[in-house]
Amino acid sequence: MAISVEHFSRTYTTATGTVPAVDDLSFQVSAGEIVGLIGPNGAGKTTTLRALAGILRPTSGHVRIDGHDLVAEPIEAKRRLAFMPDEPHLFEYLTVAEHLRLVARLYAVEDFERRSRALLGELELTGKEDSLPAELSRGMRQKVVIACGLVRSATTLLFDEPLTGLDPLGIRRMRETIASRAREGAAILLSSHLLHLVEEVCTRVMIMDRGRKVADGTFDELRARAELAQAGSSLEQIFLRVTGHDIPSGQP
Amino acid sequence: MLGASLYIIGCSARNRVRARLRRLREPRYLIGAIVGAAYLYFSVFARMGRRGRRAGPRGGPSAATLEALRSGAPAAVGLALLAATAVGWLLPFDSGLLDFSQAEVQFLFPAPVSRRSLLVHRMMRSQIGILLGSIIPALMVQSFSGYARLRISIATWLILSTAKIYATGVSLARTRLTSRDARARRVAWLPLTVLGSACAIVAINLLRAFRAAPPDGAREAIVRIGSVVSHGLPRVVLWPFVALAAPLFAPWPGEYLVAMLEAALVMAVCVAWVLASDATFQDAAEEVAARKAQQPGPRAVKYRARATGWDLAPSGRAEVAFAWKAAMQTLRVVDIRSFVRVAAILVLITVSSTAFGRTSGLPAIVGVFALAGAGFAVLMAPQILRVDLRQDLKHLELLKTWPVRASAVVRGEIAWPGGLLTVLAWILIGIALVLSSANFSRVPIGVRLDAAGAAALVAPALVFAQLTIHNGVALMFPAWVPLGSQRARGLDAMGQRIIMLGGTWLLLAIMTLPGALAGAVVWFAFRAIVGPLALIPGAIACVVVLGLEVLAATEALGPLYERMDVLSVERTE
Repeated sequence: MAISVEHFSRTYTTATGTVPAVDDLSFQVSAGEIVGLIGPNGAGKTTTLRALAGILRPTSGHVRIDGHDLVAEPIEAKRRLAFMPDEPHLFEYLTVAEHLRLVARLYAVEDFERRSRALLGELELTGKEDSLPAELSRGMRQKVVIACGLVRSATTLLFDEPLTGLDPLGIRRMRETIASRAREGAAILLSSHLLHLVEEVCTRVMIMDRGRKVADGTFDELRARAELAQAGSSLEQIFLRVTGHDIPSGQP
Repeated sequence: MLGASLYIIGCSARNRVRARLRRLREPRYLIGAIVGAAYLYFSVFARMGRRGRRAGPRGGPSAATLEALRSGAPAAVGLALLAATAVGWLLPFDSGLLDFSQAEVQFLFPAPVSRRSLLVHRMMRSQIGILLGSIIPALMVQSFSGYARLRISIATWLILSTAKIYATGVSLARTRLTSRDARARRVAWLPLTVLGSACAIVAINLLRAFRAAPPDGAREAIVRIGSVVSHGLPRVVLWPFVALAAPLFAPWPGEYLVAMLEAALVMAVCVAWVLASDATFQDAAEEVAARKAQQPGPRAVKYRARATGWDLAPSGRAEVAFAWKAAMQTLRVVDIRSFVRVAAILVLITVSSTAFGRTSGLPAIVGVFALAGAGFAVLMAPQILRVDLRQDLKHLELLKTWPVRASAVVRGEIAWPGGLLTVLAWILIGIALVLSSANFSRVPIGVRLDAAGAAALVAPALVFAQLTIHNGVALMFPAWVPLGSQRARGLDAMGQRIIMLGGTWLLLAIMTLPGALAGAVVWFAFRAIVGPLALIPGAIACVVVLGLEVLAATEALGPLYERMDVLSVERTE
């Protein structure tokens, strides 16, 4: 299993006490699968993705990437991972080409020159190789982050709102890129509020609410569930029903 | 808009105070606040009391000097203000009044308020900082009554406020000096022309007065300046500057009140001048808004994309990748040609000092500066040059996703700043050695060579030891380390910085002790055999021990980095 999460919990300490962000979450993602992670604000999606990326340590539970525990074997696990956050964090003093070069060095990417050239073309960054992040639009910076994630042969791709800041053409290309990586055998976990994207791209969907998993399955499986069947056939309707935000018929 | 401005200022101040009081619940802030308060008490108030008790007939300047100061000081300060005013046009400083916060850009720029109102709003917002800046000099003045301190504070506030407003006017006018609109250009050049003429008039008269006969001491110089600028044309052109300075020295009540009125008039003229630049303000404000939108964060450093001559190889040790990254950060701000220029200047100074001969005194002065510089590079610069984890904590989210051993991250982070400071220290030690005959003529050249060699060996070990400590502290107490160019404010933050500094020095002393002992033992053992040359094996022994300690420390810091929580890295207010 490419991604294996077992009883993962994460709490935050605030001035008022301890707040659970994710509570006893377990799921798996296989190679070639694209799993959509959806949920209302504060559901724990980003916390889950950040824990999977090795940024946050689980308070309890285990996260494994290709069988490597992220806490016990962080280097082996991280080598197989690519995390594309919603907010593009780049080094303000490195150019686009230098970001790719740095990533290639850290992940020991073979045939880096060819791969980066192809990626820059695929993500429409050709001609921007020598630009600093401050000289790029937000969408362009997002593409640089994605290029850094895709330049290596990661077996597990984590996307947090991958379409933020992209133009319509960029969105289309991004969808194709995600699908093609899955076809090549990558396990993909994608968090987004754009339900139509999730519906279109993902093979399975996982719904979180208040730090817990409240639904998990393919669209057909979710539609077939008795209590959700009444909600309707679209993911949006299912999502609203599962999270308790659906509006009963007859009400404005 | 006035009401809205007052509301923003009031709410911001109240919420800031509340937040700072609330965070005192956390021990680290409470301890910081106690240390900060103690520092403030012992460095300002306690000293004030001691000075007050000491003041009396025992010391201080004579009555004649005091009288000379009283009569000549407004003119001297006025003259200094004129010079500062002129420099303001030449140097690319701005007052920061146009530096709107992101929230101000988002909320106020699209709001139906005039640009002039926005400027008034910024002027009002800057008042809290200026008021604090006005109180400090009054507190530092010894043996003054409470009322006198208040009067000095008000006079200082007038000068600082006027300076801030004037600097904004200069920033606005500077953009129009090369305007295509002839009228706008003329308007922009007018104050510059008037100022240039004023400077010329005052300079010519002062030159005449001082060339006739050089003054005999500082008191006579002040008296003569006072005499020159209080007569004829210099008096007229210097009036605004002297008027601004006068309240600082005017006796209470009559003269002080008149002086305050005149100073307020000068300030009003400055305000009117800046408000008249409404159209320019719009352009400048829009430019600032665009810059803010592109580069979020306070006082973002401006990096330039340029070739650095160092391309990272696609494979190799992770430490080198981190060193390369830090090198790019430095070289994207400072051009490598600047380093070459500085090196050339240093060589030129050294060669000319040697050429001028020992009798000129120049080699001795340059030699002392080189020694002091080397000491600074080794002992203080590692605190200042923060191109390591202390800055990279803001990229921790990204760093944590990389498959790199934590100890390699720590070693890689300190490699570039350590190397840079080592080279700097070596250059300065080299200069000090070349010029050492001027200051240490009695010490044989062989001993000087040995000492310089030993210093050159020990320098990198001390630099890397300090950088390891600073980065270790950043990993252990990330919330106490300001990210990048950010600076936390408040008494508690000041106390935290004092604790950090003290702790770092203590740790350095502890870390250096085994190396120093090993070095001393080796030096003692070899001294009888090789004489002063024993300094070299002693230094090598010290470096080996310190180097091993640095390696062990970076390994030990690895698990800390692994366990470090992104959420523990605190953003400042």
